[in-house]
Amino acid sequence: MKELFQLGRDTLLFKHEAYVQHVARADALKRGLALLVLVTLIAGIASLVVNFAGGLRPTNVQAELREVEEGLQAFFDDAGPFLNLPPDFKKGVYQGFRVARPGIEMGMRIADLPTPLPKPVGIALSSLGKFLSLPFNRLAGWIGYGVWVLLAAKLLGGRATIAQTLGATAIYAVPHVLDILGPVPCLGGLLGLVATVWGIAIYVKALAVANEFGVGRATAATVLPALLFTALALLGMLVLFILSLALG
Amino acid sequence: MKTLIRLAWEALFLSEEPYAEMRDSPNAVPRGLGLVVLVALAVALVGLVGGTLEWATTPDMRDVQKVVLEGIKQMDWYKELQDNPEFREQFTQQFEMGWRIFPQLFGAPNLATAGLQIALLPLRLVLTWFLYGLVAHLFARLLGGQGGLGQTLGCTALAVAPQILNLATFFPYLVVGGVVGTWTILCRYVALKTCHRFRWGRALAATLLPYVALAVVVSLFACLGGVVGALIFGGGTTQ
Repeated sequence: MKELFQLGRDTLLFKHEAYVQHVARADALKRGLALLVLVTLIAGIASLVVNFAGGLRPTNVQAELREVEEGLQAFFDDAGPFLNLPPDFKKGVYQGFRVARPGIEMGMRIADLPTPLPKPVGIALSSLGKFLSLPFNRLAGWIGYGVWVLLAAKLLGGRATIAQTLGATAIYAVPHVLDILGPVPCLGGLLGLVATVWGIAIYVKALAVANEFGVGRATAATVLPALLFTALALLGMLVLFILSLALG
Repeated sequence: MKTLIRLAWEALFLSEEPYAEMRDSPNAVPRGLGLVVLVALAVALVGLVGGTLEWATTPDMRDVQKVVLEGIKQMDWYKELQDNPEFREQFTQQFEMGWRIFPQLFGAPNLATAGLQIALLPLRLVLTWFLYGLVAHLFARLLGGQGGLGQTLGCTALAVAPQILNLATFFPYLVVGGVVGTWTILCRYVALKTCHRFRWGRALAATLLPYVALAVVVSLFACLGGVVGALIFGGGTTQ
C-alpha cells in the first residue's frame, strides 16, 4: 500500500524515474489498476455518505414538491428580470413541472413501498452498490478509450505491450482523488476540471514512457481517437442533414 | 482447480505467460472447458446471492404496478380519454402486456431468472468460447498462424478471465457495465497472438475478423428475413 501511495505521489509530480520504473515492472497493469480502483473509491466516499444519509431522510412528497415549486418561483423572481427570458418561458417551465408532477409523486410513492428486508438495509445496500460501481464506470471509460489509443500508438511506432500501455495509462486516475470534493458547490466543479487536465497530462507522459517515444507522438496517439470520433459524429450529422433535406 | 484459477487470474492482467502455458499444455481443450464452466458457475452463483439481496430490498412488483396504474390515472391525458370505453379496454390490455416485459428489461430483480443463470450462463459461455475459438482459428490459419485447433481453443478459453469482474455482483445494485466485453477482446488478442506467435497486426486481424464475420452473417440474415417478410406480407395484401 505504501508503495502505491509513493507511486501516486511521484506520478502527480511527473517524476520521470517513477514512470520508467512502473512501466518496467511485470505487474505494471496490476499496480495501475489497484491505484485506479483505490483513487476512485476514495473520491466516491463523499457521495456514498451523501447518498446513504439522503436515503435515510424521511420523505414528504407534497413538501418536497412544494419546495421545488417555491425554488422555481424564487428563481424567476430573482433572476428573471436579468435574464431577459421570452414571455412564454416561465409558463412553459410551470407547464412542464405540472406534467412531470404525477411521475415524481409516483416515484416517491414507489420508494415508500414496504420491502422484505427493513428499509435502512436496502438503502445501505443500494448506496454501497452504487459506490462500488464507480471503479467499474471509470474502468469502462478508460479501457474503452484506451483500446483506440493502443491502436494509434502502435500505428505511430509504439513498442509497448498491451499490459504495459494499460498499466502505464491507468495512473491517469490519480489526480481524480480531488473528485472527493465534487459535492462542494463551485469548488467541486473547478477541482474536477483541474483533475481532468492533470489526468490527461499524466496519460500522455505515461504513454510516451511506455512506448519509448516523444511527447508529440504520445499526444497524437492520445488525441487521435477523440478527433476521429468527433469527425465521424460530424459526418453522421451531415449525412442525416443531407438526407433530411433530400427527403423534404 | 487451483492451477486453473491462477491461470485465469494471470490471464486477466494480459500477461503472455498464462496463455503460453495453456498453448504448451497437452490437454488444453479439457482445461479450457473446465475453466469456462468453473468461472461461469461461480459468476452465476454469486449473481444469485446478489440478486436475492436486491429482491429482498425491492418492493413487490405487484404493489409497484398498482402505484404506477394509479399514477397514470391521475395524469391529465388519461383523464381526458377515460370516458372512451374503447380506450380504457386497449389501455388495460397494453398496460398488462407492458408490465410483463418492461420490469425485466429495466433490471427488476427476478429470482427465477437469476437461478436459471446457473444452467444458462455456463452453456452460453461455453458456446461462445467454442464458436469464437473455431472461427478465430480458421482466420488465424488463413493469416499464417502456426497453432493447432486445440491450442487456439485452450488459449481463447483464458479470455473468459474478465468474467471474474462479474463476481462483484455479489453486492446488490452494483453495475459492472461494458468493461467485461472490451477486456475480453483484449484477452482474445493476447490469446491469439501468443498461440499463433503473431506480430500485432495479424493478431489484431485474427481477433477482430470473427466479429466482422458475425456482423456480416447477422446482416445477411436480417436482409433475408426482411425479403421473406416482404414477400409473405406484401403478397398477402395484394391478393
